[in-house]
Amino acid sequence: MLSFVLQRLWQAAIVVIAMSALVFCGVYAVGNPIDVLISPDATQDIRAAVIAQYGLDQPLWRQYFAFLGRLIEGDFGRSLVYSMPVSELILTRLPATLELTLAAVLFASLVGIPIGMYAGYRPHSLVSRAIMAISILGFSVPTFWFGLMLIMVFAVQCGCMPAGGRGETVSLFGVDFSFLTGDGLSHLVLPALNLALFKFSLMIRLARAGTRELMLSDTVKFARAAGLSEFTVLSRHVLRLISIPLVTVFGLELGSTLAFAVVTETIFSWPGLGKLIIDSITSLDRPVMVAYLMLVAFLFIVINLIVDLTYALLDPRLRKGRA
Amino acid sequence: MTETTSAPLLEVTNLRTWFPSGRGEIKAVDGVSFSLAPGEVLGLVGESGSGKSITGFSIIGLIDEPGRIVEGSIKLDGRELIGLPAHELRAIRGKTISMVFQDPMMTLNPVLSIGTQIRLALEAHEKISASDARERAIKALAQVRISEPERKVDFFPHQFSGGMRQRVAIAIALLHRPKLIICDEPTTALDVSIQAEILAEMKELVTELGTALIWISHDLAIVSSIADRVAVMRYGKIVEIGPALGVLTRPQHDYTKALLDALPSRAKPGQLLLRGSGIADAAPPPRKSATLNLPPLGSPYLVIDDAMKRFEKPAGLFRNLAIKSGISQPMPVVQAVDGVSITLKRGEVLGLVGESGSGKSTLGRMAAGIAIPTSGTIRLNGKPVMSHGRNARKITTRIQTIFQDPFASLNGRMRIGDIIAEGPLAHKLVTRAEALVYVGEWLAAVGLDPTFANRFPHQFSGGQRQRIAIARALAMQPDVVVCDEPVASLDVSIQAQIINLLIRLRAELDLSLIFISHDLSVVRHLCDRVAIMYRGKIVEEGVASTIYADPQHDYTKRLLAAVPVLPEAAE
Repeated sequence: MLSFVLQRLWQAAIVVIAMSALVFCGVYAVGNPIDVLISPDATQDIRAAVIAQYGLDQPLWRQYFAFLGRLIEGDFGRSLVYSMPVSELILTRLPATLELTLAAVLFASLVGIPIGMYAGYRPHSLVSRAIMAISILGFSVPTFWFGLMLIMVFAVQCGCMPAGGRGETVSLFGVDFSFLTGDGLSHLVLPALNLALFKFSLMIRLARAGTRELMLSDTVKFARAAGLSEFTVLSRHVLRLISIPLVTVFGLELGSTLAFAVVTETIFSWPGLGKLIIDSITSLDRPVMVAYLMLVAFLFIVINLIVDLTYALLDPRLRKGRA
Repeated sequence: MTETTSAPLLEVTNLRTWFPSGRGEIKAVDGVSFSLAPGEVLGLVGESGSGKSITGFSIIGLIDEPGRIVEGSIKLDGRELIGLPAHELRAIRGKTISMVFQDPMMTLNPVLSIGTQIRLALEAHEKISASDARERAIKALAQVRISEPERKVDFFPHQFSGGMRQRVAIAIALLHRPKLIICDEPTTALDVSIQAEILAEMKELVTELGTALIWISHDLAIVSSIADRVAVMRYGKIVEIGPALGVLTRPQHDYTKALLDALPSRAKPGQLLLRGSGIADAAPPPRKSATLNLPPLGSPYLVIDDAMKRFEKPAGLFRNLAIKSGISQPMPVVQAVDGVSITLKRGEVLGLVGESGSGKSTLGRMAAGIAIPTSGTIRLNGKPVMSHGRNARKITTRIQTIFQDPFASLNGRMRIGDIIAEGPLAHKLVTRAEALVYVGEWLAAVGLDPTFANRFPHQFSGGQRQRIAIARALAMQPDVVVCDEPVASLDVSIQAQIINLLIRLRAELDLSLIFISHDLSVVRHLCDRVAIMYRGKIVEEGVASTIYADPQHDYTKRLLAAVPVLPEAAE
């Protein structure tokens, strides 16, 4: 187990460094941030001075190694637009995205999996057909449209929900969270719902397919033959057996939502990472982009590592002693 | 329990369980009636599709949708079970009637510990604390002869062998002291010696506890060794029912007679079995010129010399570091075949017998040039079967293989004509123009209509598919055929047909066969010589009749003693 974790961390380091090189070159190719930073009527001298100040006169490889050198000291650079350290900037935005994403993914799983299991348990009932129709809708409706509809109905027409922003926040361990206040929670509901829709449909489908297959298996038949109630069969046997694919998808979705909640954050003006990265791309804020994408790569790796460790927890066959 | 012998425990009358399908209904069980006294053991025998399993599932009330019990009555202790609401049926299941299934690999939940699974089954019918449940689980495991039950109760199913898992399943079925246990082929997936143990233990437990048993099986010999009465099923009906000895020694119905005649254990070795011998198959096509200059019959032909096969997983960089620094255990190595030397004479049938994991299939695969031996040589007529080097490959077409599962060994997307012609075309045994006729000749030789060449494998039954697989192997014009459990997945009557086909083709084509099987009666019937494999080694080898009559090695003795035997008919 230890060698497995070591190996994965080693892989993680390689991936993060490769990612930084790729992003650095890619961003370099996109454009020169100086054109955005300095007003067009600045003199040539000021221009040269600013270029030198950011080290942009150096060749690409030298810039990259200078960046790596600062990275070792824990310095991700300063944002060109916000003129504050990138690490600080990202840390102020991360909690907002984190709570939005977790709310969405947890909702999708906690509601989606039971509903999906029901649909798999009674595949021919009317309710199950309705559930499946909703899940198809959830797959095919574009996020932005659903988000706009949510705002239209709940914020504009009925006025019971706020249309955007984080609302009131509470500081916990020096970080702001909005799910701890009533107002913040009400701000969280609509964007989380919007973000959850796709994952919700996915969880329903996965849980249904797994349950349907397992209901015909000998394991379930044997459990029923021993007189177990249908609820025990579903909750103790079936749920445990379908959980591996569910955890896999949960991890993947958590990662991608964390990284790319852009559309929802933009629609609900949620001050999270998604909005930050879009803003920095338009303003060619190079240090923010590089740091953000490295963070995303890192998050993916950590999540996948946790998922792999969860497998061993869920399935005794994968535990130590059996390679 | 106060039971009188007069009142039956279970009374099934005119039971009909149907499954609606695209065209009408499939009458899986069609008018079955029988009764069972308390403590009685009833054997329910039939081939696949006879409705014997569905009868069992009907009694315990677990018919899969869309199947349903159309009519009939199932009375348990005088109480009608058909039409009971779901929760009352559930209260009976596991408590009064319980069930043991065929495959212990599939029935136990792989992600729950044995203790948890037993606890769930206990909680289904009584309120019980966690510590009491554990106590009961340990007792239940001890009852089915599982050693160290205090430790094993925390094991997961994958830590048990097949036989142990089936014991756990039986322990769960016995938990609430049911009056009736339905066993659906409970020993079919197990090795003979394990099967013998389970049979003996089951018999003892049943007598001890006074439980009635319905033992569903396709194997007449097993049923005869446990059942008081036997019912023979066919097409959803019971064709014959009576005391076990009577039915098996003096069968009245033609179908029972045919089933018994199809058993190799009841025929003289080497002779065609009675059932299925009536088909007049066409003669196989003539041999190609390449088969000339072969050694005479009876001279050494395929020589396996000190063959060894190890399976090991290569360790990665970090794993190697961890192993060297002592953090991690070295990778486990499986020694599947451990230095086997054996010679197959031309024209002979060599039986390779052993239990699962003995390495018999791996040896067969090496002989056929499918698996590369870790060391040792395999030569056919003096020439190696495989090329040398790291990426060794088979360099002869003179050895072919027939695999166990005809459903897996035929490509479902190819027409069977193409399947059979593929090899001969690739090796230029026939030209594309000749292929159609050639395939037709082989299909006729294995007893199939030559016009079937255009069909796909899914359009055939298991027995027909195995015929196709035989035609595919023989179309390569081999001298040696490795048969890896070719009849293991087939019903007795189909098995008899395939055995007859092999006997006939072997005589007509002067084939040498390596016949791998766990079924000792089939091996005895077909083979001239037998080699017994145990843990990667051949422990005994010799002329079949000698080994069966006078086994020398302890393992062979145990193996032969474990085979259930049918009672002999009093002539």
